[in-house]
Amino acid sequence: MLEQQLLNALTLGSVYALFALGFTLVFGVLAVINLSHGAIFMVGSYAALWLVSHLDAPLWLAMLGAMLLSGTLGLLVDVLILKPLRARNAPHLTPMIATIGVGIMLTSAAQGMFGAEVLRFPEETLPAGEFIVGGVHVRALEIAIVAIAFILMAVLFTALKRTQLGRALRAIAESPKAASLLGINVEGLFHVTSFVAAALGGIAGVLIGLDFNAITPQMGQPMLHKGLAVIILGGMGDIRGALIGGLFLGFAEVISKAYLSSQMGDAVAFGLLFLILLVRPSGLFGRVLERKA
Amino acid sequence: MEWFNDFWSTYSTLVFSVGVHALLALSIWLTLSCGLLSLANAAFMGIGAYVSALLTLQLGWSFPLVLLTGGIAPAVVALLIGAPVLRLSGVYLAMATLAFGEVVRITVLNLEITGGPEGLNGIPLETEGWHIAALLALTIYGLARLRRSKVGRAFEAIKEDEVAARLMGINVDRYKLLAFTLGSFIAGVAGALNAHFTFFISPREYGFEAAVDILTMAVLGGISSLIGPLLGSSIITLLPELLRSLHDYRSFVNGAVLVLVVLFLPKGLWDPRRFRKWFGKAKGAEA
Amino acid sequence: MRFMPKSIALISALACAGVAQAADIKIGIAEALTGGAAQYGVAIRNGFQLAADEINAKGGINGNKIALVIEDEQAKKEEGINVFKKLIFQDKVLMIFGPTLSNSFFAAGPVANAAKTVVFGTSVTANGITDIGPYTFRNSVMESDVLPITVATATKHYKLQKVAVIYGNDDAFTKSGYDVFKKVLEEQKLPVTTTETYVKGDVDFKAQLTKIKGSNPDAIVCSCLAEEAANIMLQARGLGIKAPFIGGNGFNSPKLFEISKLAGEGTFVGSPWSNTNPAPANKAFVAAYQQKFGSEPNQFAAQGYDALHIAAAALKDVKLSGDIAADREALKNALPKATINGATGPFKFRPAQTKTGKPGGWDADQKPFIYIVKGGKFTLYDSK
Repeated sequence: MLEQQLLNALTLGSVYALFALGFTLVFGVLAVINLSHGAIFMVGSYAALWLVSHLDAPLWLAMLGAMLLSGTLGLLVDVLILKPLRARNAPHLTPMIATIGVGIMLTSAAQGMFGAEVLRFPEETLPAGEFIVGGVHVRALEIAIVAIAFILMAVLFTALKRTQLGRALRAIAESPKAASLLGINVEGLFHVTSFVAAALGGIAGVLIGLDFNAITPQMGQPMLHKGLAVIILGGMGDIRGALIGGLFLGFAEVISKAYLSSQMGDAVAFGLLFLILLVRPSGLFGRVLERKA
Repeated sequence: MEWFNDFWSTYSTLVFSVGVHALLALSIWLTLSCGLLSLANAAFMGIGAYVSALLTLQLGWSFPLVLLTGGIAPAVVALLIGAPVLRLSGVYLAMATLAFGEVVRITVLNLEITGGPEGLNGIPLETEGWHIAALLALTIYGLARLRRSKVGRAFEAIKEDEVAARLMGINVDRYKLLAFTLGSFIAGVAGALNAHFTFFISPREYGFEAAVDILTMAVLGGISSLIGPLLGSSIITLLPELLRSLHDYRSFVNGAVLVLVVLFLPKGLWDPRRFRKWFGKAKGAEA
Repeated sequence: MRFMPKSIALISALACAGVAQAADIKIGIAEALTGGAAQYGVAIRNGFQLAADEINAKGGINGNKIALVIEDEQAKKEEGINVFKKLIFQDKVLMIFGPTLSNSFFAAGPVANAAKTVVFGTSVTANGITDIGPYTFRNSVMESDVLPITVATATKHYKLQKVAVIYGNDDAFTKSGYDVFKKVLEEQKLPVTTTETYVKGDVDFKAQLTKIKGSNPDAIVCSCLAEEAANIMLQARGLGIKAPFIGGNGFNSPKLFEISKLAGEGTFVGSPWSNTNPAPANKAFVAAYQQKFGSEPNQFAAQGYDALHIAAAALKDVKLSGDIAADREALKNALPKATINGATGPFKFRPAQTKTGKPGGWDADQKPFIYIVKGGKFTLYDSK
């Protein structure tokens, strides 16, 4: 049974990491906790579902569409809300409060449009395939999720390390003012980051919607809380930290459910979050990006 | 007079809710006025509600004593977690208090004595209109006095610039702890009042959504004076009643209000400085 | 403060156009029509509307037409209280049906009881609902009346030796269902291999199910809502678990099979209502519902539909005086004796067994139907 539980933990951890990627990216570059990330993740799920069931789009196209739509939403949030707040130098908590409002609006709009009940992808769109390896049941979808989480992480990581764009983003993360003096188009890169982060949130929504096959307007909320735990565990704004923190949380939850009691699952996530904030606010593994304004 | 009786019988609970929400908005106003964004006030309200309801149901304590303990219990918790939590600032404080709120909710959910997810029912009706009115008046008076005292000025200084305040010799940690604890006391009393006119409490009423609601009231009204939270809480309580016809889209309006206020009225609806500016401009035009 | 609600305007219009000299009987309906519990609340309201139309088409009750005053309580406790107060003190209804969920009932029920107005729940199964007082009634069958029969039938059918349990521990409905299951399993001396929990919003049950698989039970007892249950079934089959499921009231939804397809084969469920029950009253209800709303009725609609017929049966013996307080009292005294043969089968009330010993309200005294799932459908269980 241990092997099966480890696999469960790996999938769950990858799911958390996938969600936390965009979340932590926005924080790293824009220094904003974007609490609408959960809702954007939910929008990704609904967008793919709509494309699949109304336009008979193949799954890959639906994923692309979901990424585009959620990315555009993220861009809109940045242009319409975060940019004016930056322009007037609002206190750093103000954008967070605004994104709470965006989250409520998106959730409520989804409920109005699609209803409160759980929706699902039609069965024939789900990638079939199931293997039994040494008594462990593995579904193709689970492999896809783990693989995609790791690939996206690697792509993002190399992009940040090796490309001109990545260097510029890292400069902004250190200090937007200095970056701007260096001739970097800071506002433009903020927009790009917002788009990419939200698109990542959207694809996470599609994959997780496929895996658990349950899409509801509220699906972003618990994920958002877990995502917060992940980026705090991994160190806020740290791309590697999102992966490590996500896996850590996944394993911690599954192991506590398997060997303590399933009642403990959520208590573990938030207890950990609370403790780590008190003991090591920079995260278990990461260092905090101290922004020099 | 009969018209009034009917009206009061129908709407008394709504009026009670306005009062309790006003207390909650003032509780978060207190921490915000010291520059702390704490999302723990819903949890404190829950602790107050559960402790007071259990005292009434199991031990049959008298209501004034129940209310007092309903405030003291979360204040003790706030004192205990305050020292380590308040070392954090900004988003980290917000996240830690959010996590604390979830820990409280999950604990209540898994305890036997709190009735778990089924909550506590059969709580007798003890709260009367004048209780809420008197406590609200007392809180407003107390906070108004506090604002103008040394403590209030210290809060203001910490909110404006923590480092400068520290350099000026203000004991920042102690004042932060005071704001956090006092805020939890007020939230706890509000929770105790609410539990004793709604007959029933359950853990889901004190989760993340409640924390956001409380914050919204204060942000909407504005925190530059005490009138802001009062205005904000009244609007947030009455708005859903007025927006009944919007059905599912009602909370959409709530979210939109939050975004629009943050964008266009950074100081909230009640902003004396803006009023003065408008007034001044009008005068200038006349002259 | 609040503008004149549409429902009142409608009723005054009806009253003007209505039959001469006969008065309308105003009945309040407070259900969750928006928000998360709307899927139940809307079905219940449909049931009431169907029953009211039927009764009015047959000339009403002793010549008086029924006028429903419908309000949305949003499954929120404060809203429940507000709506109840509006119905009792402003609209002056004779009685109130609702609210949808037990939480709201615990908050709003005492208001009606204190105002000496009958409050009648059709979907509230929690313990203690009718402890509130003598004005509380329900025709929702409690889990403690259904589950012993479900478990005993399944045990006999599968010759069960030991079972595993899974339930949602942060939801009042699934948790109280679990409490009943636990008691029933103890009474029927069926050992439990492991008890697992999840919380609302959870969609990944693999950790718990892997543990259940390791404990090797003969069946899985599941106190879950239909959608969670369907996911649990799918994931259980994905992990190679073959054991059948035994479910509570939460399973009673067509959703279960829309989602789980054939993963739920062999599941045992007890329900107060069966869409395949061939009794004439039920056949008539199912046909009328389909014609009026264009969709299949469910258990909640059936119970709402029956509830209004129960009230109508009681009202036949009540001489309405026009004095609202006296009429409410008369209805409270007449209602316990009401019996019908409705969509949910023969119905009568029995006095509630209160924990405190104080006089309580009235619970449903009804036999459940036991189903087994075959070919992705609920089929009435035949012990042969």
